[in-house]
Amino acid sequence: MNAPFLKFGMFGDETSLVIAFVIGVAFGFALERAGFGSAKKLISQFYLNDMAVLKVMFTAIVTAMLGLTYLGWMGVLDLSLVYLVPTHVGPQIVGGLLLGVGFIVGGYCPGTSVAATATGKTDALVFLAGMFAGTWVFAEMYPAVKGFYESGSGAQMTLPQAAGLPYGVVVFAVVLMAVGAFYGASLLEKRFGVKAEE
Amino acid sequence: MTAVDNHGHGHGKHTVSQDYANPYVAGIGLGLVLLAAFVFVGRGLGASGAFASSLAWLLSGISPDHVRANEYLAGYLGEDGASPLKAWLVFEVAGVFMGALFSGLLAGRVRFAADKGPRVSTAVRLVTAFVGGMFIAVGAALARGCMSGQALTGGALLNAGSWLTMMMIFVGAYALAYFLRWQWR
Amino acid sequence: MPTWLSRLTLNQALAALAIGLGAIALFAQPYQGDTVEIDTAALAAEIASGSADVEPRILAAWIVGSRADYRVVDIRSAAVFAAGAVPGAENIPVAGLLDAGLLRSEKLIVVGDDGAQSAQAWLLLRAKGYRGAKVLKGGMAGWIDQVVSPVLIEDPTPEQKAENDKRSVIAAYFGGTPRTGAGALVAAPAMPAVGAVAPKVAPPVAPAAGGAKAPAKKKREGC
Repeated sequence: MNAPFLKFGMFGDETSLVIAFVIGVAFGFALERAGFGSAKKLISQFYLNDMAVLKVMFTAIVTAMLGLTYLGWMGVLDLSLVYLVPTHVGPQIVGGLLLGVGFIVGGYCPGTSVAATATGKTDALVFLAGMFAGTWVFAEMYPAVKGFYESGSGAQMTLPQAAGLPYGVVVFAVVLMAVGAFYGASLLEKRFGVKAEE
Repeated sequence: MTAVDNHGHGHGKHTVSQDYANPYVAGIGLGLVLLAAFVFVGRGLGASGAFASSLAWLLSGISPDHVRANEYLAGYLGEDGASPLKAWLVFEVAGVFMGALFSGLLAGRVRFAADKGPRVSTAVRLVTAFVGGMFIAVGAALARGCMSGQALTGGALLNAGSWLTMMMIFVGAYALAYFLRWQWR
Repeated sequence: MPTWLSRLTLNQALAALAIGLGAIALFAQPYQGDTVEIDTAALAAEIASGSADVEPRILAAWIVGSRADYRVVDIRSAAVFAAGAVPGAENIPVAGLLDAGLLRSEKLIVVGDDGAQSAQAWLLLRAKGYRGAKVLKGGMAGWIDQVVSPVLIEDPTPEQKAENDKRSVIAAYFGGTPRTGAGALVAAPAMPAVGAVAPKVAPPVAPAAGGAKAPAKKKREGC
């Protein structure tokens, strides 16, 4: 058992920042490869024309989920040392909705807006500015919303724990759901897909 | 046949056949990057936190006391006076920029323009981009993450709150898509 | 290769692979939980050699010499901790010890009431893979006995006088006073050389506000 490497002292904080950069480069590369440096491609998801967002996101989730499951099972990775963002039901429901609204209005999410800015999209740059403004507004409003912000449990909880099911069962269910969603997505694309003009 | 939209530029009908990667292959690549983060550093990817850190840094240059007094931003200040920019996510997001630039250059996809539908002007698009960014920022603050941090990272960890957030993102976007057709279609 | 396999598209092959891996994962138990595996042979060797022990006087030398490559973890309750502790110690009661975010590779010196309590917590940490955990020999009782209120050798020879002086200086540094006890053990191990030590303007035995080394702020790991 010696992963996560950082938590077992294999390198220090300075190195982890370098690793952050390298991982970010791979992240940004993958995003742009998938076409997520373009708002038009991203929001096509929500008009059922191009389901790439769903395909990429869920493939990534399934890949990493299987990787974590197997590495944890083999005792290579100590999953208890991997940070689980606490669950806050109310704020996450509202926050998720706002994220969705921001996505369809603004055309990007934080990660893809950076990727899009890198490839020259002026609207992505303005989107970034909007994010700074929004963060500042939230920070100023914080005392007023703090009660709500902290509500809704704050416990670290996994789906298996919440559902009372064995971890592996939930993993398998997620895989099945994802494959089913991909099949459904390809059907939707056949029905609603917009063909490229040459 | 996966759909590919043409980028409506301001002037001239200029359709480019976009040679994007197979989304499943891209997804596997992304998933492996995410897994690498877990294995090396014990955390996943993210983005919105980098903006909070950057904002804390920017405002500290103007009024450090105000930042220290603000309970939300103070959490993004570095320990013992270290710069807020010395945060894992800030470096990661810097990498995202470089990686995307590299991929874009390789594919010849770097150009200065606004991505928008044919029925709106660039000016309007920039306004909606700004407003959308504000919504995303507030949403990400409340939800403790964005698509990268919650949907991808928390999704892979089977984090209950993350799956909840992810579902609500889709609900919110799909619910409003019909009313935003004027911008994109 | 069977013909049906070669007729699969890439996407279908990936889907099949995912479902296959998912099916195997049905039996997975990725979280290690509360059961651990202990290498008893290695542990026994470590205990026998005494390499997991840290003498209080050695720790005192580290503190005076401003060494910073270790953390002192005081596992007693908050109330007892407030009444007096090793300077720079962090109070992490045993109940929260495993959730405190300590690193597996850090040098952690466990301090309890006495040697027994310290050793219990040490074993807990070692079992959970904290390779750098060590015991402060004698716990707080040992600390007070060796460092804060050290016993001075009675009727000292010249070399023993130097030893007494060292002990007095160290005791003063930590705000204590040496004592002359009946039957002081002349054979007690000598104070390590510490160099010129100007007695600090006495911090009393209680730690400086919040512990001289404030516990490292929990690093933000969210999005």
